[in-house]
Amino acid sequence: MTLRVEHVMGIPVRVDVRAPVAAGVLDDVFAWFRDVDARFSPYVRESAVSRRARGEAARDADLDAVLARCEALRRATGGYFDVHATGALDPSGYVKGWAVDRAGALLDAAGVARWCVDAGGDVLVRGGGWRVGVRHPDRPHALAGVVAVDDGAVATSGAYERGAHVRDPHTGCAPAGVRSVTVLGRELATADAYATAAFAMGERGPAWTARLRGHGAMTVLAGDRVLATPSFLARCPGGSLAASLSFG
Amino acid sequence: MRRALAALVVTAVAVVLLARYDTDPPRTLNPNSALRPAASAAPAPRATPRPGEKSASGPVITTPFSVIQVRATLTRGRLTGVETVELTGDGPHTEALNARAEPILRAEALKAGSADIDVVTGATYTSESWRDSLQAAIDAAREQR
Repeated sequence: MTLRVEHVMGIPVRVDVRAPVAAGVLDDVFAWFRDVDARFSPYVRESAVSRRARGEAARDADLDAVLARCEALRRATGGYFDVHATGALDPSGYVKGWAVDRAGALLDAAGVARWCVDAGGDVLVRGGGWRVGVRHPDRPHALAGVVAVDDGAVATSGAYERGAHVRDPHTGCAPAGVRSVTVLGRELATADAYATAAFAMGERGPAWTARLRGHGAMTVLAGDRVLATPSFLARCPGGSLAASLSFG
Repeated sequence: MRRALAALVVTAVAVVLLARYDTDPPRTLNPNSALRPAASAAPAPRATPRPGEKSASGPVITTPFSVIQVRATLTRGRLTGVETVELTGDGPHTEALNARAEPILRAEALKAGSADIDVVTGATYTSESWRDSLQAAIDAAREQR
């Protein structure tokens, strides 16, 4: 039973291990996050991302793989997930989830049976029996629902406290009518990209999430209405968001 | 739209086949039909038949765009008329959205609450939340002796 929280990649990252874990494994996990920060932060002048954004040659096989995947996601989301949305290259929206997925692979390889990584409110769990609360978009200390996840990712994109940090790359405007989108999936990087894209789509987002294979989603609309896919509700204890709050 | 048209054509053909062997319109809807019958829909009105003319209505169909019923008319064994009756009062577009949205998304009214949970999604970005998170982590660590 080990809990470690560090501020890395610009966010608090929390690793919660509920199984035996060998000494040094969590050191390796956080060393990996710091390595990702050094190579991928657009705020670090000598990072591979910053050099690539300036048009300099920056050899990094991970960066090539990340950018290839980002391009595939841009196409899969009709351009709503776009690492060039702000004008400059900024793959941070993908890198955070990708770093967590890779950290999860480290934990798996070290034989850790049950763990949860929470990177600023985007979550990857393994080993069964995790109850993930979905934060209410307008009430910081209240939940909108709970999902039970054994192995997988839960990512949320929303207005929240940082303000409207997601913009529709087609119009440059913050999406209207939608408060937050939560996506369930296998990998955090993809779930996070889908949540960002669906949020940027505004009121067309829910219908788009309903067509995603292997992913469930809930969208909180203005006026306290929620649209959820059946596979998302199937993960809510009691079968509905309201019921999930009265469990446990 | 193409699927709806295909469904119409198939139904029209089915009705024509039925009408050829049955002078009465098929009143019983097939309960196993993939085309879901709408319970409250009334059958399409029948006009007074001319000599040698037979008419029949098909089952009520819910297409992605509306709830409809097709009526076919045969005169001496030849198809002389196909009429499509829309049974829904709402515009076809609204009906289409409802029909499509129903199975893939379910709406709920949002309630705020609390529950026993391990982690929160959509939670933290600012330094304030970071401090909250740190505090929570410290508290949790304290509980684990």
